[in-house]
Amino acid sequence: MKSEEEISRRRGEVSGAVTYEWLTQAEAARFHKDPDNFKPLRASSLVGQQQQRLSDEREGLFSVIDEFNLWRSKPELAEAVAAIKALTAVIQRSEATTMMGLEIDLKKASEALKAWDETSISLSAGCDLFMRYVTRTSALEYEDIVAGKARLIERGEKFGEISLKARQTIALLGKDFVQDGSTILTHGCSRVVLALLKLAASNGKHFHVICTEGRPKNSGVEMANQLLSAKIPVSLIIDSAIAYTMEKVDMVLVGADGVVESGGIINMIGTYQAALVAHSMSKPVYVAAESYKFARMYPLDQRDLPLAPCYVHFPGALPESVIAEVSTRDYTPPKYLTLLFTDLGVLTPSAVSDELIQLYL
Amino acid sequence: MGAAMPDLQAAVDDFCTKLRRRQVEGSMDTAKFTALLLRQVISHQRIPPSAQASTLIDAVKSVGLRMIDANRLELAIGNVVRRVLHIIREEDASLETDGVTGINLITDSDDENDGYNIAQSGVSAAAVAAANRSALRAPSLHNLLEWIPSSGATTTVGPTITDPEVRSRSSDKNSRSWKLKHSVIEGVNELLNDIENYHSQVAEQALEHIHQNEVILTQGRSRTLLHFLLEARKKRSFQVFICEGAPRYDGHILAKELAEADLQTTVITDSAVFAMISRVNMVIVGAHAVMANGGVIGPVGLHMVALAARRHAVPFVVLTGLHKLCPLYPHNPHVLLNDMRSPSEILDFGDVSDCLDDTTGGPRLRAVNPAFDYVPPELISLFITDSGGHNPSYLYRLVAEYYSPEDFAL
Repeated sequence: MKSEEEISRRRGEVSGAVTYEWLTQAEAARFHKDPDNFKPLRASSLVGQQQQRLSDEREGLFSVIDEFNLWRSKPELAEAVAAIKALTAVIQRSEATTMMGLEIDLKKASEALKAWDETSISLSAGCDLFMRYVTRTSALEYEDIVAGKARLIERGEKFGEISLKARQTIALLGKDFVQDGSTILTHGCSRVVLALLKLAASNGKHFHVICTEGRPKNSGVEMANQLLSAKIPVSLIIDSAIAYTMEKVDMVLVGADGVVESGGIINMIGTYQAALVAHSMSKPVYVAAESYKFARMYPLDQRDLPLAPCYVHFPGALPESVIAEVSTRDYTPPKYLTLLFTDLGVLTPSAVSDELIQLYL
Repeated sequence: MGAAMPDLQAAVDDFCTKLRRRQVEGSMDTAKFTALLLRQVISHQRIPPSAQASTLIDAVKSVGLRMIDANRLELAIGNVVRRVLHIIREEDASLETDGVTGINLITDSDDENDGYNIAQSGVSAAAVAAANRSALRAPSLHNLLEWIPSSGATTTVGPTITDPEVRSRSSDKNSRSWKLKHSVIEGVNELLNDIENYHSQVAEQALEHIHQNEVILTQGRSRTLLHFLLEARKKRSFQVFICEGAPRYDGHILAKELAEADLQTTVITDSAVFAMISRVNMVIVGAHAVMANGGVIGPVGLHMVALAARRHAVPFVVLTGLHKLCPLYPHNPHVLLNDMRSPSEILDFGDVSDCLDDTTGGPRLRAVNPAFDYVPPELISLFITDSGGHNPSYLYRLVAEYYSPEDFAL
């Protein structure tokens, strides 16, 4: 009757006081007992209730996504920061009358945002951190909802401010590490790295940047354009030429999609390669990452990462039996990283897990 | 501020002059005198009833900056100044916990406001990072009873606990400033004690690391090292190879001291390290300064010894005191923190004066005499400090414990 597929899809769904599985089993039992007079239990009233609740939720959910898209329309804003701003707005607009209700609203909105882009680590890490930060306050014990809400909004705005200013802070901290006359290799197009390099250049440092092409997304060209507009001399190399150019490179500077518990980073595919080559030639590898990218994950190998596939174009016709590797991210273990520039300060990879514990506990 | 001030100024000036003329050298002596002077500054400083901690901090900072400028190579001076500032901040914070709450959040938001005007006011990035850290951290004891935004809501939670203290607040202020001064001076006394006695603390751990019939290699001369080896000698018998440490040849003096203490010593040249390293069980050295990433600044030639040790899988152990731990990173160690000494230690002027002719476009012969070497953290196996043995990757914890991030950029 109910297909296996539908059961597994709706597993755990609750209507009334029972789960969907229980309902299907009960219906199956009734059917087998009396096949001729069987009438499905999913009466219109029950369905109606569920549908009503779903549409209510979707109503609230839409406003979160709308708010999120509103913030995202600003090109300089990172996805996670837009999510944080949207969640603060959810608190403001929430009509819950108790603190628990407010928390539930927030949780639902956070889930919706995370579902919007499941591959983005910074988005889900940012939402999680926001939830922990905002709800970790004694304001939750206040009986007065107005005061409690005001407190939560205040904390939400503080978190939003810190995250917004994070790029600036990182640029200020990291600019001293750029030496005059040095050559910097960068991989991928990171706005934090751009901000850092632009600030160093505006402070009168002269340096040369080598951008990798960054297949399959070809981010290197974008990065090169941005750097040229800040009058920084740029070279472009293909990804395979990293080892070839590494001997004249003084340091490697990359951004991160996410920073994991071990102190390693998840970044565009090819970062691990660059870090390995740099390590073998004793060049320092610096990472510029904001604190909301710290995620509670501990990948043990490259397969442990959340999947983020994309279409890779290979020139010429590819026979069907050839499987193309379509992952766009890799994990760089902490032993290949020298230092991380974050808005919480300059950290060694071993200090990252300490900071994570402080943020999450 | 009183008749004591001119004396204090004179003492500070005198110390700065001594530092500039290199009459006071070495991390322990400079650290000790710095701590003594700062203790005097604190005890003479008159504290207004409000903003007590910040007056002390400003006073210590102004004196500290002068001392640091006198000799930028002695990182121990900056370390001690930062330690004292950290003590002041901590004592202030712990007094807040005992006293009335509700005022401390203002200090939090002050830091933040500074952070908002990064571009204009030029407040250091490290201070902003510190403010971010303290804002994002889990609420500590003194944040539990929080200030509630005045949106018309009555403060029903919290104040009931603090009511009896609220009444006596005004009379508390004077005793509070006395308490702050007293506890800060106690803290500085502890710091002085630590600085003076770190030799014995480090030496206590000698027996755990040196075993019977081992061969130890060392370089240069270090008081800590001497005490360490002598302590181990009391119960174990072992051999020591000493690199002479050209051009100062400190190794010769250390060799004599060790031989007098009945230890089998061998003196080798610095260039012979690679030849002898395969016969060595462990390398133990002292350090001039330790950086926040675990890198070590030591006497010139130390990097070679570290590389030799790594090549032959010999553990490289560094003895250090906590006052040598600097919370800064070495951006460009070979240039920034090296002391170029007189070339006469290498070449006698009389021998080469004809090559130093300036008329044909500059001297043809140059002698470079750097005093320090930077050893990167990957080459170091263990740090033995007065608080125990630590991995180089653990140093960030010690830095976080003993220093406040607001003081990193003085």
